[in-house]
Amino acid sequence: MSKQLKIAIILMVIGALLTTLAFFMAFYTARVQGFGTVVSDQPLDTAFALAPPSMQPTDGIAYERPWLSQKIFYFHVPVAEASFLIFTIAAIFALLFLLRKDKKYDTRSRIAMETAFVFVVATMITGVLWTRASWGVWWDWEPRLTTYFIMMILMIAYFVVRNSVGDEERAATYGAVFCLIAWVDAPLSFIITRLIPSNHPVVFQSGMDTTNLIPFIIAQIGMLMIGYAIYVLRVTEESMHERIELLKERLEA
Amino acid sequence: MASTENKDRIAEDVLALDVAHLTRKFGVRKALDDVTFQLEQHRFLSIFGPNGAGKTTLLRILATLTAPSQGSDVTVLGFDVVKDAFALREHIGLISHNPLLYPDLTAEENLRFFAQLYGITGADARIDELLDAVELTHRKLDIVRTFSRGMTQRLSLARTLLPRPELIFLDEPYSGLDPHASDILDALIDGIRDKHTFVMVSHDLERGLELCSHALILARGKVVLFEDKETLDSDLFRATYRETVGLGVS
Amino acid sequence: MSEKRNISSFDQFRAILHKDIVMELRTKEMLTSMGLYALLVLIIYYVALSQAGSAFEVERIAGGLLLLAIVFTSMLGLNRSLVHEKDQGCLEALLLSPVDRPVIFFGKAVGNLIFLILVQILIVPLFYFIFMSGSQVQSGPWWMLALALLVGSIGIAGVGTFLATMSVNTTGTDFILAIMFIPLVFPLLLVVVAALTAVITADAGYTQVYWTMLAAAAGYDVIMIAVAFALYEFIIGA
Repeated sequence: MSKQLKIAIILMVIGALLTTLAFFMAFYTARVQGFGTVVSDQPLDTAFALAPPSMQPTDGIAYERPWLSQKIFYFHVPVAEASFLIFTIAAIFALLFLLRKDKKYDTRSRIAMETAFVFVVATMITGVLWTRASWGVWWDWEPRLTTYFIMMILMIAYFVVRNSVGDEERAATYGAVFCLIAWVDAPLSFIITRLIPSNHPVVFQSGMDTTNLIPFIIAQIGMLMIGYAIYVLRVTEESMHERIELLKERLEA
Repeated sequence: MASTENKDRIAEDVLALDVAHLTRKFGVRKALDDVTFQLEQHRFLSIFGPNGAGKTTLLRILATLTAPSQGSDVTVLGFDVVKDAFALREHIGLISHNPLLYPDLTAEENLRFFAQLYGITGADARIDELLDAVELTHRKLDIVRTFSRGMTQRLSLARTLLPRPELIFLDEPYSGLDPHASDILDALIDGIRDKHTFVMVSHDLERGLELCSHALILARGKVVLFEDKETLDSDLFRATYRETVGLGVS
Repeated sequence: MSEKRNISSFDQFRAILHKDIVMELRTKEMLTSMGLYALLVLIIYYVALSQAGSAFEVERIAGGLLLLAIVFTSMLGLNRSLVHEKDQGCLEALLLSPVDRPVIFFGKAVGNLIFLILVQILIVPLFYFIFMSGSQVQSGPWWMLALALLVGSIGIAGVGTFLATMSVNTTGTDFILAIMFIPLVFPLLLVVVAALTAVITADAGYTQVYWTMLAAAAGYDVIMIAVAFALYEFIIGA
C-alpha cells in the first residue's frame, strides 16, 4: 500500500472525527442565539441576518427552529466552501490537460469533479433543510441558491457529456473545455451574495463569536481532509485500474 | 493571416515524409509507437495493417488533423506538422471514403467554396478544367445529392486537386466504389502520379500493392515492415501481412 | 500555371457563411423546422394559459414566454447546422484547408444568428397577435424589444454553435446540447427576460432597468464569445 494511500485513510478518519467533534462543540460550547423568524429582541448571531419581513411566512406559522439553523451551519458552510475549492482544483487540472494533453491531468480533473459533486450534493441537502428551518420554504430562487443550483446542473452535464463521447481522448477534451466554462459559475456563486441583495447570509462579513468560530474552523479543516482523502482514494483506484489495463495490453502483445 | 502570393513551390530534394519517433499515446494506450520512416517526393506509399493498428491515426497526424504526442518529430514536405500546420495545409489534399462534399450544393458551388477557402482568385477556369478532367462538365450545375457514388468520388477528386496539392492522402478511397468507378479513380491517379506524392491507407491488399512504390505495414502502432516495392519480396510481404492481420483478429 | 493565392480570414468567413445561406435557401430545412416548431410551442402556450382566466396580466409573462419559444426553437436549428458539416465528413475537408479554427466558429455562428433572426421575424408578430393584441398596456418602443431580442440571439447563437460542435460528436445529440446549453445560457435568459418585460410593461422608469439588463446581457455575450473563441480550437480538432 502506498504512503499516499495510508495518509488518505488516516486523513479520512481524522476528518470524520473533526467534523463530529465540531458538531458536538456546536451543541455544548457554541453560544446559541436566535435565528429564523424568532422574535427579534433576542440576541442575534451577528453572522446571520434575519430574513426580511417580506420573506416571513404570512400564514401565521412561526418557524422557530434555532437549534437546526445553528447546528447545520457547522456542516453546511464548510461543505459548500470545500465544494468551491475542489471545483477550482478540477478546473486547474482541466486547463493543464488542455495545455499538455497528458491523460493524468484529465484523470485528476475528472476525479476532482466527482469529489466536488459529492460536496455539492451534501451542500444542497443541508441547504434545503436550513432554508426550510430559517425561511419557512424548501426552496427559494434567490441569487446564491440559483447560481449554486446551476453549478450543480453544470456538473451533472459534465459527466453526461463525458459519458456520451465514445473516443476516450475526445471525451477528455470536451470534459476539460466544459469544466472550464462551467467553473465560471463557481466564483460567481461565491461572490454573488456580496454583490446583489440576498436573503442568504454572508459569513465572515459581520464577524463571528469566538465560541462559534472555533467549531466552524474545526469543521472546515475536517471537511477538507475528507475531500482530500476521497480524491486520493479515487486517484489510487484509477491508477490501479490503469496498471491493469497496461498489463492486459502487454499480455495481448 | 492575409498573404498575396503564389503558393511556394516545394523544392525537389525535400522529403515528402520525414517521420522520426512518432508516438501517439493517451495514458497507457499507444496508438502509434516510435514510428520512423522517410519517403521522397513523387512516391506512392501504401499503408497496410489490421483494424486498430494505427493506420488512420498515422494518416490524420500527417494531414495535421491530429497532433502527435510530445517527443515526436514529424515533417511533411519540409513543414513541421504541429508548428507549420497552417502553411502545410496549402500543400496537402485528402480523398476519403467520405466524399467531403456538401450534398445540397451543386458541383460548381462545392468547388467554388473550397477555392474560396484556399484563397484561389480566378478559380472559374480551374473549376472548368477539373470538371472536364473528371468528366463531370455536363453535371456542373446539378446538386451533388443526385450524383451516383462514383460521380461523387470523382468530384471529390476534383475538389482535392483544386488547390494543386503536392501530397495527396487517400483514406480507403475505393470503399463503396463499383469496379467502373474504381477504374476511373485509378486512371486519374495514374495520370498525376509522377508529379504528386500519394499516401494511401487501404484494406485492399492487391490494389494497394499494385499502385504503390513503397509499402508499410503497421501492427499495434509499430512499423513491422517498410520497403521499396523494387526490393520487396512479394511472398514475404504477404506472409507478414497475413500474420499481422491475424494478430488484429485475436 | 498557378493562380494567385490570397488567403484572407474574412473571405473564408464569407465563404462559409455564403455556403450555409445558399444551402438553407435551397433546402429550407432549418427555417421550416424551426418555424413550425415555434408555432407548436405557441399552441402549447395557449393550452397552458387557457384556464388562467382574465384576471392575470399577460404582459408580466409575455417576455419570458417569448424568449422560451426562441430558446427551444434555436436548439433545433443549432444541431442541424453542425450535423450538415458532420454528415459527409465535410468538417474534415474544412479542417484540412488553411482556415483558422475561429473563422469556422464565426462563420457558423453568424449563419445560425441569421436563421434565428429570420425565425423571430415570423414568431414575434405572431406571438403578439395571439397573446397580446387584447392588451391595454402601452408598451415601450418596438426597437427596444428588437434590440433586446438581438442581444439575446447573439448569445444564444454564439454559445449554441460552440456547444453544438461538441454535441454533434456525442450519442444523443439533442439531449446533450440541451443539458449543456440551458444552464450555460441561464444568466443571459434571466437578464433578457428582465429587459423584455421592462419594455413590454413599460412601468415608470423602465428604461433604467432595460439598459442595465441589456448591458449585463451584452457583457455575457462578449465574455462567452471570447471564451468560445479561445477554446474552439480544442473542441473542433478533438
